[in-house]
Amino acid sequence: MSQLYELKLRIEEKIKADGLDATEMKGRIGLKSGRLLAFISATTPDDPEAIVKLTQAAKEVLNLDV
Amino acid sequence: MKIRSIQTKVLVALVFCLVLGVGCVIALMQYFTVENSKGLASEAVAGSRKLFAILETREISKMTAVGDALLVNQQVRDAFAAKDRNRLLQVTAPLYPQLKEEGITNWMFHTPEPDMSVFLRLHNPSKFGDHLNRFMDKEVVRTHSIASGNELAKAGFAIRVLRPVYDAKGKLVGYVEFGEELGQFIHTLKNQTGNDFGLLLNKKYINKQYWADSSAVWNRRDNWNDNPQFVIADKTTADDNIIKFQGDLAAVPDEGKVLETYSDGQSHFIRGIFPIRDASGQAVGAMFVLRDISDVYHTMRKTQEILLVVTVLSLVLGIVLLLALLNRFVFKRLNQIIVAATRLVGGDFETEIKIASEDEVGKLEQLFEQFRHIFIDVMKQMTAMQDK
Repeated sequence: MSQLYELKLRIEEKIKADGLDATEMKGRIGLKSGRLLAFISATTPDDPEAIVKLTQAAKEVLNLDV
Repeated sequence: MKIRSIQTKVLVALVFCLVLGVGCVIALMQYFTVENSKGLASEAVAGSRKLFAILETREISKMTAVGDALLVNQQVRDAFAAKDRNRLLQVTAPLYPQLKEEGITNWMFHTPEPDMSVFLRLHNPSKFGDHLNRFMDKEVVRTHSIASGNELAKAGFAIRVLRPVYDAKGKLVGYVEFGEELGQFIHTLKNQTGNDFGLLLNKKYINKQYWADSSAVWNRRDNWNDNPQFVIADKTTADDNIIKFQGDLAAVPDEGKVLETYSDGQSHFIRGIFPIRDASGQAVGAMFVLRDISDVYHTMRKTQEILLVVTVLSLVLGIVLLLALLNRFVFKRLNQIIVAATRLVGGDFETEIKIASEDEVGKLEQLFEQFRHIFIDVMKQMTAMQDK
């Protein structure tokens, strides 16, 4: 399982835990990171730059510390 | 602080316009208040000056008519021709109180030139034989016809009519003079205009002893030493504040001059001055005019307040209306596009944007809808590829 996919799962868990609108949150994180969460799967190869951007977006939108 | 929202920028700009607009309205109102006050002041001075001139003309006509009527009286002419002072006093004294009631306070008979001394003063019979040597005396001697104008004599500064008196054979027997104190004019002026007045006479043209004598005759306090440059002949108010003048009386322009507008508590006044000329045309004094403009001032202020409130309300209403229109036609629709775009990226392919109109934002909505459809197609294709 790639780090990128693991990050996606943590984001989804956080959204669920906080009872937020998943579509909107994913959209905002996707727009900020420049990456569609729907296309991140377990087989998606890790990309350091994508990980950094997604981490920052998750922090900004969800206040999620990874 | 950097403002990112266009809505906030517009709001800041509108508030700035509001403040600027209100500031301009206040400045404009202040300007109009000052201009109106100046206009009122000029009108008060010019009106009083005109009325004074009318009164002067009217009183000269009146005294000329009185002279005409008097000289028809054979007894008066005979007594004067006979140089019989007592008889002249006897025949004229009963008339004097009536003339005095009409404002003619000074009545004199003069001997003919070259002596030309005072033969009889009806207003002060015990004093006679003195020489006045005034401009009018010289003028009536030169022309042997009626001379009139303002002139100072021992009984005070007065508007006078001086005319020759001839006996039955047409020989000059002397002159008769009628006069009305200018001081009493100011009470007529006050009655007619409601303004207060003060008559100032330049000391340069007045003999100190004459002034003292005049004050004694009319039971007035000798106020010679009250002011360095002028004496106050009369005033319509007990308040000496009306007489505040530091300049040169001779320099007051013919059309008059507005001195100042000032406030005393809730009352507002304007003070002006116009010159008084004697028979020779010299500016020997000036008339102070004090006009209470409190009513007009308060009306102007009230109008200004109403105008200010209406302006502020109109501007605020305009701003609210403009913001509501911008919100409805621009910001709300832009926000809908942002929400739809965000949800689309988040996987919601169902949120459509309804194209409300064909304006600039409508074109953006249309563009977004086209993009959304393309995006959904791409997503479907990519999902299918991933599934394979």
